[in-house]
Amino acid sequence: MSIRRSSGLIGAVSLALVLAACGSSDEGGSGDSAKAPKTRVFTADNGKITIPADPKRVVATGYAVPVMIEADAPLVGISSWKRGEPMMTDEDLATYKKLTKVAGEQAAETNYEAVAEAEPDLIVIGVPAPVLGDIDVKRLESIAPVVAIGPTVPSAWRELSRKQADAAGALDKFDAAQKTYEAKAAELKAKYEDVLPQLKLGHVGAYGEVAKGTFQREFGGSWGTNIAEDLGAAYYGKVKEAGEGSRSVSEYPSIEELPAAFGEADVLTYSVNADGSVPEAVQYVLDSKLWKNLPAVKAGKSFPLRYTEAATYGQAMKTLDAIDESFAPLLKR
Amino acid sequence: MTAAGRASGPEVSGGPARTRRAFSPQLGLFVGGLVLLAVVAVLSMGVGARPVPPAEVVRALLDYQGTDDHVIVRDVRLPRSLLAVAVGAALAVAGALIQTLARNPLAEPGILGVTAGAGFAITVGSALGLAVGQAGELGFAIVGSVLAALLVAAVGRRSPLRLVLTGVALTAVLSGVALGMRLMLPDVFDTYRFWSVGSLAAREQAPLALPLTAIVVCLLGALLLSRALNALTLGENVAHTLGAGVGRVRGLALVLITVLCGAATAVAGPILFVGLIVPHLVRKPAAGSVPWLILYTMVLGPVLLLIADIGSRVLLPTGEVPVGIVTAFLGGPMLIWAVRRYGAGSL
Repeated sequence: MSIRRSSGLIGAVSLALVLAACGSSDEGGSGDSAKAPKTRVFTADNGKITIPADPKRVVATGYAVPVMIEADAPLVGISSWKRGEPMMTDEDLATYKKLTKVAGEQAAETNYEAVAEAEPDLIVIGVPAPVLGDIDVKRLESIAPVVAIGPTVPSAWRELSRKQADAAGALDKFDAAQKTYEAKAAELKAKYEDVLPQLKLGHVGAYGEVAKGTFQREFGGSWGTNIAEDLGAAYYGKVKEAGEGSRSVSEYPSIEELPAAFGEADVLTYSVNADGSVPEAVQYVLDSKLWKNLPAVKAGKSFPLRYTEAATYGQAMKTLDAIDESFAPLLKR
Repeated sequence: MTAAGRASGPEVSGGPARTRRAFSPQLGLFVGGLVLLAVVAVLSMGVGARPVPPAEVVRALLDYQGTDDHVIVRDVRLPRSLLAVAVGAALAVAGALIQTLARNPLAEPGILGVTAGAGFAITVGSALGLAVGQAGELGFAIVGSVLAALLVAAVGRRSPLRLVLTGVALTAVLSGVALGMRLMLPDVFDTYRFWSVGSLAAREQAPLALPLTAIVVCLLGALLLSRALNALTLGENVAHTLGAGVGRVRGLALVLITVLCGAATAVAGPILFVGLIVPHLVRKPAAGSVPWLILYTMVLGPVLLLIADIGSRVLLPTGEVPVGIVTAFLGGPMLIWAVRRYGAGSL
């Protein structure tokens, strides 16, 4: 019995240590300093960082900005995030505009003095790992604990945004938004279940380079496709040579390869701006005779998709509505 | 025929008997160049991300069926090849004209500040949010190159040396200011970098009718002016004595250089070396005759650019290399070869 009891105790201690290492929400404060703020160890891109268990003054940059605003995190400073403005609600946009900007659009435009002036107790950097090199992390660490949680593959925004909200101690509203999204996605999936799963889809992204004569083909798990996949859409194919991050789910072939890329597609989708206007890189494809020759285009099954850059559950709700609006003609056929 | 025209004809460069003997080989070489141009053009329309056999290329041109291969040849590669021909001819002829006019073998079209002017205008246009899309960039590049060339011509028109020095000075100023703006504005830098490498890709949807028409008109103008320029190669005093209107000829040549170089740079970005190397390669067969020099450069410029453009599509398995990089890569060794082959005296 005693051996079993000991085993149980060892197991409990091990579990506690594992949880601490994973940075869930363990307290790291010392017992004899009752007034010291409680801390925990949080695992981020830049290692295991000791952060406040309940941060009161958070600075967020990059992809963390819209996540923190939606989650009602206690923000005292943010980076500029113009690309996300069209996807924000009026309320969130007002909050975004009101907050002090401590960095520009680029990571290299971080204003360290402004960050220090905001007196944060936590800094959450939401930029891709390679871009971290543009930031003087040591200098930021002299101001407050820094956790870097940047985007990897596009579809991972779900996990990454949760982690960002968790770091800021703002999971309550985040979880509610996630539930709302998942319920809506399930509803739409049921709506299209007789149509979408039988179709092969292809997607043209907004980041082709007209000057090079290329277009962006996005496969499953990419920005333009991952939310539609929650509705049961199946984007076929895979990249010829997988790279890091978004390069693992999208590629940039020559415009001459349009027939080879999308010849088999039953339905084609393409990214458009939030206001419905067509980005130059996509317009270049739409104006090509090779595009007009594609079977799916000839059959009238090419659809624009708005809000394909969604990286939060709040933004993704807009994407779901936009996809529903675009795919509606499929139900009539 | 004017006095200058009579004086600048074949008689100037060797006398009637010698000219008659040399005429056939020169014409033969020219016809051979045209055949080479046709072969390279067909080849360039077959090579790319989706290979198309030469027979299919010819069929697409003569018996269009609307298949994917035919669409690629007719709507993507034919405009690109025509652009390469026009830009290659424009830069090469502009190079021959500026070298003849400045009597400086190292002169090239960009020395008049045209390239820097176009780049500066695109930088400013991007910063103002006006140089958006291909049409916007094209418009700004044309305006910038023309204004820069006009300024250089106005200040330096009195002598070739002054002209070159003014061009160099303006290039330095415009490049410096534009660089400063690009370093301060990352988005502007992003727009500029695609243009600055020089490329013929993806121009099939751009509004090219105006610049290409301007190039064709100026190429014809260069041919018409070439005989008068022959007199100028003998020196201003001799040209005056022979009755050539030196100021008028120089002014017309400047206009042609400006439009040719400005239009080519606007549609394809700065493509180095074509304007410098091609006149050197054909100088010997031209045997001191400016008309033959112009004709040869008009054929060899496109051949060189088409070959470089084919290279730009096959050098990397993952995508294209901008043609401006290929011409720079080829141009350096070719210039060294030309110097070694013909001697520095030919330059």
